[in-house]
Amino acid sequence: MIVAERKPLGEIVEMIAQLHKVTVIGCRSCVAICLAGGEKEVKMLISALKLKNRKEGRKQEFDGFVLERQCEKEWVKEVDDKILASDVILSMSCSLGAQTIADMYPEKVVVPGLNTAMFGVPEEQGMWSEKCLGCGDCIIHTTGGICPIARCAKSMLNGPCGGSSDGHCEVNLDIECAWYAIHERLKLQGRLDLLEAVRPPKDWTPSHSGGRRIIVREDAKLTQHQKRGKEAVI
Amino acid sequence: MKRRIQVVICRVCSGAANVLDVEKLLRVANEAPYVGSAIAVNYACNAKTIAQIVEEAKSREVDRMLIIPCSKSDVSPALFQAYKKKAKINEFLMETVDLVGEIVLPHRDNPARAQAKAESKLLAAITRMAMLEPLQKSSEKMRTKNVVIIGAGVAGVEAARQATQAGMHTILIEKSDKEVKAPGVVMPKTRLVSAKGHAGNFILTIEAGEKRETLECAAVVIASGGDWSDAKGPLVQACGAKPLYRLVQEIGEGIISREGVVIVDTPDPKADITSAQDFAWEDAIQSAIEIRKKSPETEVYLLFQEMRALGLDELSYRDAADLGVRFVRYDKKRPPHADPKDKSKIVVIDSVQGQTLSIPYGGVYYASIAPNPDNVSISEALRIPMTESGGLRRGSMQKGPIATPRPGVLVCGSAQFPRSENISRLEGRAAGALAAQLVSTGIVEFGGSVAEVTPDKCSACLTCVRTCPFEAPFIGNAGKAEIQLQLCQGCGMCVGICPSKAIELHNYTDDQLSTETASYIGGDF
Repeated sequence: MIVAERKPLGEIVEMIAQLHKVTVIGCRSCVAICLAGGEKEVKMLISALKLKNRKEGRKQEFDGFVLERQCEKEWVKEVDDKILASDVILSMSCSLGAQTIADMYPEKVVVPGLNTAMFGVPEEQGMWSEKCLGCGDCIIHTTGGICPIARCAKSMLNGPCGGSSDGHCEVNLDIECAWYAIHERLKLQGRLDLLEAVRPPKDWTPSHSGGRRIIVREDAKLTQHQKRGKEAVI
Repeated sequence: MKRRIQVVICRVCSGAANVLDVEKLLRVANEAPYVGSAIAVNYACNAKTIAQIVEEAKSREVDRMLIIPCSKSDVSPALFQAYKKKAKINEFLMETVDLVGEIVLPHRDNPARAQAKAESKLLAAITRMAMLEPLQKSSEKMRTKNVVIIGAGVAGVEAARQATQAGMHTILIEKSDKEVKAPGVVMPKTRLVSAKGHAGNFILTIEAGEKRETLECAAVVIASGGDWSDAKGPLVQACGAKPLYRLVQEIGEGIISREGVVIVDTPDPKADITSAQDFAWEDAIQSAIEIRKKSPETEVYLLFQEMRALGLDELSYRDAADLGVRFVRYDKKRPPHADPKDKSKIVVIDSVQGQTLSIPYGGVYYASIAPNPDNVSISEALRIPMTESGGLRRGSMQKGPIATPRPGVLVCGSAQFPRSENISRLEGRAAGALAAQLVSTGIVEFGGSVAEVTPDKCSACLTCVRTCPFEAPFIGNAGKAEIQLQLCQGCGMCVGICPSKAIELHNYTDDQLSTETASYIGGDF
């Protein structure tokens, strides 16, 4: 899932200080599950902002709610009136949600309440770890199900490097060495031969290096005709 | 619903009369919205007074009651029962306010401050009271009257005796094949594998050799004891130190060394003892006393870093000292050790007096008992948290000294930390009696002020499932969290952490809590 963290309160206050009607919008999807932008966080942030305002003698109006998925226009559309009535949207979703609203309401100021951090996995209650960078060309079938792009500090394709010691990474001894883990996993599976071949440089064009990525599923797209029909129904 | 509150202030016990202006408190209460009656009584727990309060409640047609008794934990359950039966008031519409502990005691030197605080507390409690909803409990029949006891040591056998006397069927499971004299069924060479269900209706899986079987029971008593196997440490190697229970046995058999007995807290005195181990000091002191009585020429030394004897056992320090038992405190940086020149002596530096002692000995014994390693599997099966030193944790003090955090599961004897034999026996008896009390009703009640999920809001994020200490939430067939009421203890942990605010605790909802808090600070927040 997308893992995010709330921005420090001071930073949020600074972003919205000059605007009066603040609408805080959370998201019930990934950021709710990673305890960053669900209904609870939205309510807590509003309480914190109100307390801070009271302490510093500032007056602002707050409203807050959550959407099913903030990155989808249909869900955003449902709160159209509330967005139009506010001076600033404080988005408590990942940057995708914030940008969806910003693109739909170009005249509105949209500010991020969260820092979108990574694609991560909840390892245990209250702890998430990054396991994918979204490079667009998955190779984990050759590495024992462990992604060296995300989990090796150097994103090496032929590891480990000389900085691997006792299964840890030289960048930070708390991080496991991905290539050590890959070696152990393949050893367990009896597939160490996979490590004998030298991997050529990866094709990075499906990654962000090729500019903003757009995926199109022609078979799923609606035809002009279908679109017109839908509009007619609505 | 009427939403009419009766406020009852106990004049005597609440200590209010000495510090607070009770008449003014009554006026404040009477002027507050929703209050139907406010009275002050003497001894709210007295049968006559109860009758008076019930009469008042009926004539004023109140449906909820706010009681200000002597202390929150002692009297209120009994009072609530009385009012529930006699005045027909829903048990979830009765609450207490602890004016004594929170206001009278801390502010007794400043009556004006106490009065102001008491008034705002009273008003906040009335605000809350008016918002409460009546709740109903559900109940379920127990399928059996079995009480399973784990461990046939001193505590376990005593628990079996007590529970049998009270008419329960006890099943004692014991991992070894030692001979056990206990009533009820005894299953030797048997261990607990897993447990399902809840208080009143547990289903345990037990293993005897290769064979596995299930066992229904209404309550479980854990009496797993400590680990009595020999420990390692420099004193064991150099002086042949033995565990304390061997000394107890030897005294019983009349074998007492004349050359002196040294009892030390641990066989490895260099180690940091406070975190990892526990000690049977009561038994150590009692043994020392007995040795001095039976064999006055035997010198007895107790070497310790930290000593504690609980409750009345503290008196035995003096008895021991009067009989000439020597207490020597040492510092772990300068631990007692065998004299390098003469192995029949132990050298210790008394950290209080700075004196170096060279003690000749006939036997060295250590008072530490390691926790039972089986506690890990018992903890996993019954889902009882463990203490840092490897014992099984008890519940909060309100649940009593023998209860675990899990209803229907009791723990006694050295399963938590080392107990003397006497205390183990006593706790075993208590556990047996409590188990019998629980089972004798034949009915388990649950529900009431428990958590409930609003399915539409649930993201099935598993946060509640991971957080709940009682494993009450699960993701149901609809793909949303559900709470198994029989397991929910109403602790509110899932409610607090749910990122989607999909869980509510009845009568502790956000609205109820924030309105109450707002009334303290005088407005919105």
